[in-house]
Amino acid sequence: MAESNRRKAPEGEYVPKADDDLLICRCEEVSQGDIRRALHQGLRTMNEIKRETRLGMGLCQGQTCTRIARAFIARELGVAPGEVGLPTPRTPARPVPMTVIARDGIMDEAAGEGI
Amino acid sequence: MRRVELAVVGAGPAGLSAAIEAARHGVEVVVFDENQRPGGQLFKQIHKFFGSKEHRARERGFRIGEDLLKEARELNVTVELETVVSGIYDGLELVVTKNDRVEHLRANAVVIATGASENMIPFPGWTLPGVIGAGAAQTMCNLHGVKPGKNILMVGSGNVGVVVGLQLIQAGCSLEAVIDASPRVGGYGVHAAKIARTGVPFHLRHTIKEVYGKDRVEGAVIVEVDEKWQPVPGSEKDLKVDTVCMAVGLSPMYQLSKIAGCETVEDPSRGGVVPICDEYGATTVPGIYVAGDVSGIEEASSAMIGGKIAGASAALKQGYLAQDVFEERYAAFRKSLEQLRQGQFGHGMKGKKITHTQEGIEVSESLLCRGFVDESEILRFPGIPSEEIRMRGLTPVIECTQNIPCDPCREACVKGCIRIGESITDLPSLSKEVQCTGCGMCVAACPGQAIFLLNQNYSDGEALVVLPYEFQPLPEAGDEGTACDRSGNPVGKAKVLKVQKAKTMDGTAVLSMIVPRELAMTARFFRPSGSEERRA
Amino acid sequence: MRIKNHPILGEFDKGRTVAFSYNGAPMTGCEGEPIAAALRANDVIIHRYTSKEHKPRGIFCAIGRCTDCVMIVNGKPNVRTCVTPLEEGMTVETQYGLLTQEEAEAKGAVL
Repeated sequence: MAESNRRKAPEGEYVPKADDDLLICRCEEVSQGDIRRALHQGLRTMNEIKRETRLGMGLCQGQTCTRIARAFIARELGVAPGEVGLPTPRTPARPVPMTVIARDGIMDEAAGEGI
Repeated sequence: MRRVELAVVGAGPAGLSAAIEAARHGVEVVVFDENQRPGGQLFKQIHKFFGSKEHRARERGFRIGEDLLKEARELNVTVELETVVSGIYDGLELVVTKNDRVEHLRANAVVIATGASENMIPFPGWTLPGVIGAGAAQTMCNLHGVKPGKNILMVGSGNVGVVVGLQLIQAGCSLEAVIDASPRVGGYGVHAAKIARTGVPFHLRHTIKEVYGKDRVEGAVIVEVDEKWQPVPGSEKDLKVDTVCMAVGLSPMYQLSKIAGCETVEDPSRGGVVPICDEYGATTVPGIYVAGDVSGIEEASSAMIGGKIAGASAALKQGYLAQDVFEERYAAFRKSLEQLRQGQFGHGMKGKKITHTQEGIEVSESLLCRGFVDESEILRFPGIPSEEIRMRGLTPVIECTQNIPCDPCREACVKGCIRIGESITDLPSLSKEVQCTGCGMCVAACPGQAIFLLNQNYSDGEALVVLPYEFQPLPEAGDEGTACDRSGNPVGKAKVLKVQKAKTMDGTAVLSMIVPRELAMTARFFRPSGSEERRA
Repeated sequence: MRIKNHPILGEFDKGRTVAFSYNGAPMTGCEGEPIAAALRANDVIIHRYTSKEHKPRGIFCAIGRCTDCVMIVNGKPNVRTCVTPLEEGMTVETQYGLLTQEEAEAKGAVL
């Protein structure tokens, strides 16, 4: 991502904006202000901002906010949405309880075969 | 680890169609769906579909869904519900979770038909209870039989917005307004016209400024936007609503395909990020196909054809289908798909400003800006008979003004009064010798509810207007009420002559009302007396 | 809020009426319908308060995707009420993020 090579060190303190409170990610309650602060720190891509803010890492897995956040970040940076990339989708594509994943291998072993 | 010949992810119209097509050729198919019931969004679609007979036009979506399930069962397609495909590894190994247990299975081919998710727009108050997706409203009304709210604001005038808007009214909710930041109605004009004539105002070039309320929606403030999409100060309107529905587009759910290693591309004409695929639905990962909204946002009718193409491709790959048989089937599917993609709402037309129909007729500005064709504009369209014919006796009046792929009206008329040219998107016109028997089949068949029957010379000073009616309570012969124009404004008195209901009309009642003759080309809706007058 | 006679769908084929409890109060709904539908029919639209800002949430997508409507059902938190069928005798409770109701109130949740 070309953008990530152009990051700058933060210049001065972050100056809050009037609409900082507006939530972008409903699940993790990540606001426009949270994203702006991350951008101010020099973060640029969706993946970077996701790791910093937990944007899109809630129960819905970014279903609702990815599109909104991308447009917002692009607007803030003055670039096309394509420039900020996409969060990497990973398994599990849907929320699966940790106990279920943890049991996967154990059950296979006990049963001696796949279920 | 179990091995399956074809794994389909998603039991919506595309996934089921893929499964059916593949199973028809002998492929062993398993369909996975995370929901409790199969059918995807089809069972919420209670309106009649567009297209032609082969696309199952004039049938309601939920009936198509029932038939797909029946067909899948007959072909021994296994549908595993409440089953989540949480990952696809190394080409074709699926990780499937059901009943809190994980299963790994190997597929020879996979069709990903995960559909789409609703887009949303953030505004102050958008997390308050009462702000919902239009899909949620549809689910509550049409599947669960519970109204999502009483007074509703619809944000978005695309087909989802106007279709769900009508369904909310049918459920007994009060639709207060439809707004859209765009200067033009995005959905089919005929869908918009259905709700406009009930009196719902369209506020184009308007966006939502805020939704307020202590712990739930108590109202919404909308504001006009200028050409640069900036709010116009002082143009705010406060709407007392308890529910705000968002119908601002859909995004393909490409995530699983990406996890599987399929390359994706950003394509605004298809709704956003989509897996790259060829005309057979094949992605960049050998053996993985995509179909339906995940490969680009379209109607359910197109999704079903896309599913069949992917299903046939998966069958071909495994040797269940000879190349020549495949080519033949593919050509037929492709032709059917191309038909649906024609017209002014078709492929590559998004965002283009249409000034004239393909017949060269100037489009209705009013339809685009206010949701209904103004009376002053309607006469120029080919489905409108001359005054001489209207005075001679009963005749269809076809208020179809946009080039939409749809032709059930032609077949509905046993007398052959209604003609459509070579292309399925041509505007219907009337044959020179109109022999209307008043059966009402064209009125009930039109998915756009844009066909009326009219006898302008019903009696001395009176005209008979016949219109489609899909609301409760259903008026009865002898009922008196108000005739409304295309914008829902009351224009005079009306008396119900009869109300036809027939199985073949599939829930659309055909209501005949007597109005003063001068209202013959004005009155297009009947409001029973005693019902609330929205714009009194 | 229940639709009595729908012009296209007629009467809804719902399960038998069953009793359940909402925050300790008795309520009824139709067996097998989503818990969220039963709550909406009883005019309950606040399902939970968020864990960071303690703000109310309710139904948003109604198809199990957004998880805004999660509640504590039979003691189990994070249950998506829009896709979980109602059963006789269920206990359904408002979820207060990771807190108890008292702690949430102390944090200023609008109640």
